[in-house]
Amino acid sequence: MQTTTGTAPAPAPGKQSTPAYELTGVSKVYGSGSAAVAALSDIDLRVEPREVLAIVGASGSGKTTLLQLLGALDRPSAGTVRCDGRDIQSMGEGELSRLRRDTIGFVFQQFNLIPTLTARQNVELVAASTGVPAAARVARAAELLGSVGLSERAGHLPSQLSGGEQQRVAIARALMNRPRVILADEPTGNLDSATGADVLALLQHVAADNGQTLVLITHEQAVTEAAPRVVTLRDGRLISDTRS
Amino acid sequence: MFHLSYMLAELRRRRGRTILTALGLAVGVALVVTVNAVASGLDRAQQDVLAPLTGVGTDMTATRPLAIGDGDGGAEGLTEAERQRLREQAGPGPGLNLRELEPGSTFSTDTFAATRELTFSASQTAEIAAIDGVEAAAGSLTLSANHVSGTVPEIDVTQGGGPGGAPPQGAFGDSDITFESRSVTGVDPAQPDIAAVTPSQITDGEYFSATGSPRQAIVSAAYAGTEGVAVGDIIGLGGEDFRVIGIASSPIGGTASDVYVKLATLQSVADLAGQINAVRVRASSGDLVPAVADAIAAGLEGAQVTTAADLAERVGGSLDDTRELSSTLGTALVIVGLVAAVLIASLLTLASVSKRVRELGTLKALGWSRGAVVRQISGESLIQGLLGGVVGAVAGVIASLAIDAGGWTLEASVSGTADTAQAATAAGGPPGGGPFGLGQAAITTGSELVEISTTPSLPLILLAIGLAVLGGLIAGAAGSLRAARLRPAAALRTVE
Repeated sequence: MQTTTGTAPAPAPGKQSTPAYELTGVSKVYGSGSAAVAALSDIDLRVEPREVLAIVGASGSGKTTLLQLLGALDRPSAGTVRCDGRDIQSMGEGELSRLRRDTIGFVFQQFNLIPTLTARQNVELVAASTGVPAAARVARAAELLGSVGLSERAGHLPSQLSGGEQQRVAIARALMNRPRVILADEPTGNLDSATGADVLALLQHVAADNGQTLVLITHEQAVTEAAPRVVTLRDGRLISDTRS
Repeated sequence: MFHLSYMLAELRRRRGRTILTALGLAVGVALVVTVNAVASGLDRAQQDVLAPLTGVGTDMTATRPLAIGDGDGGAEGLTEAERQRLREQAGPGPGLNLRELEPGSTFSTDTFAATRELTFSASQTAEIAAIDGVEAAAGSLTLSANHVSGTVPEIDVTQGGGPGGAPPQGAFGDSDITFESRSVTGVDPAQPDIAAVTPSQITDGEYFSATGSPRQAIVSAAYAGTEGVAVGDIIGLGGEDFRVIGIASSPIGGTASDVYVKLATLQSVADLAGQINAVRVRASSGDLVPAVADAIAAGLEGAQVTTAADLAERVGGSLDDTRELSSTLGTALVIVGLVAAVLIASLLTLASVSKRVRELGTLKALGWSRGAVVRQISGESLIQGLLGGVVGAVAGVIASLAIDAGGWTLEASVSGTADTAQAATAAGGPPGGGPFGLGQAAITTGSELVEISTTPSLPLILLAIGLAVLGGLIAGAAGSLRAARLRPAAALRTVE
């Protein structure tokens, strides 16, 4: 096992390409003055395309803050976050929205499905404002639900689905716009171990099939063991970056 | 379609809040529909009352009223200029002097006395008709036709008879001298629609025809009832016989003479050839009335122009009171109702957004733009507004029709006060009491019940629904603004 600390792995010779993520000297501070709290401090991280990465750490270590920066949901207080070569600090709200829509697919711990929409509509939701024709949207949603084994459950509301099924719907939704990166925040956190294993396997499978970068935020050992690269945070600092 | 499904699904999920918001807007809309239907009904009722008097909004009457000074009334109250004008108008008169007659001998004389409206040349009618914005103009002449007859008494008749001093009619002391006074108006039969009496007022018999005999008369229903005159009877006027061809009703608030004859005939028998004392004018549109009135006033010396708006002020009673109430309290009620409805809808929408922070944060995390989130919230509010508008419109229509079905009637009245008589004079009609105090034409006082129709119009209903939609949009804007400002990172941390 190769272990590095605070540095991104170098790309393989001849494979030089735009990294999925490139974080340089990133800090995030909430509040100001004496009330200021540093959630992240001086993070350097490079994530290559198609890489599968687990970010681990105890509660309060800065995992969620890092996820929000990687997901272009927030901007750093210092340093730069480049997603697919683009600096999110310099992007406007509209550009950030388009980046999230076209480049990043989110999978949340609590699934975050819209309770009034069916499984198919939840998958469609991501593409609803893209101008994709309705027929194409419906076909793509059906295809994705089929790929996660939920063809028969497409017309069901989230409340009619099990936790594992809901997370599968969320995975299908994350894939809807063919993003380059899938960000999964504790994807198995609300599932039993067997279902969690299935979901994790599905995530790895679809990411590999679609050539997507997969970033898993987790504190679960099983997930960590499944990731070829594990970045560990403690008190807002990146303390280890290991590759298996 | 997807967005519509999503909006409807969200509204269904928050059914209670949706119904409450829609109901709030519905109450406002129902108020708008009902109050406006009532107000429109009241306006129509007043127009119905006024319609026989004049083509509301387009008619006016030009007169040259005799200005009475600040004296005690009668001739003493007139300025020298006014007396001169009055002398010119009255002419030499018949010159009846009982002292020149033998006591015990009989006499009979007919005279025409002036009213407060000074006469002027009938050619003014053509000049007024030539003013821009005038559609039609018709001259008329109203006089007091007095008949005095009896036996010369054995007394010295030296008092009374002057302006303001003589009793209006009846026996003169203990003698058998009688005074009969009737108001008579000469109308232009070629302009029946704007004449002092119109064909629509004829309740029995017929109206003047241009080719008919010049000795035709139409009498008012009131006069016919008092004097027992019927169609086909012969009445005397200025020593001439006239055949009664019609009986005319007198609309409440309108001016009514006892007798109407053709203008040319009256001018002839009263020895006032080419003279009139009122011009009735119809403007080509209601917007032009003020300009036309100004032009007439500028072109006719001493002219007073009275418009339909002035006439409307003469109508009183519960109709007027209710109309006043609806235009003040009703308007206030509508405004308060709408503002309250929009406020409630806005607060509920804001509360709804607060409950959906995590959902909206998820949408933003999934790449929904700020505009898309705003459209979602606004769309839901729009649907709520539409729902409230339709429900409110239906409720308003039902309430309006219920009022309508109840046969709501109000009283329209015109009192016979001095002010009203003065208003009548100002309105171009003969006064209730002229300087000579003889029985002259007056406004028709009294009251009548007017049924109020409160059927709401389609444009009103559409307007009310539009207001509800607007209210929904305002509420949606309030919620959308809040939703648009949500930071997705913070929104996703929210625990629901």
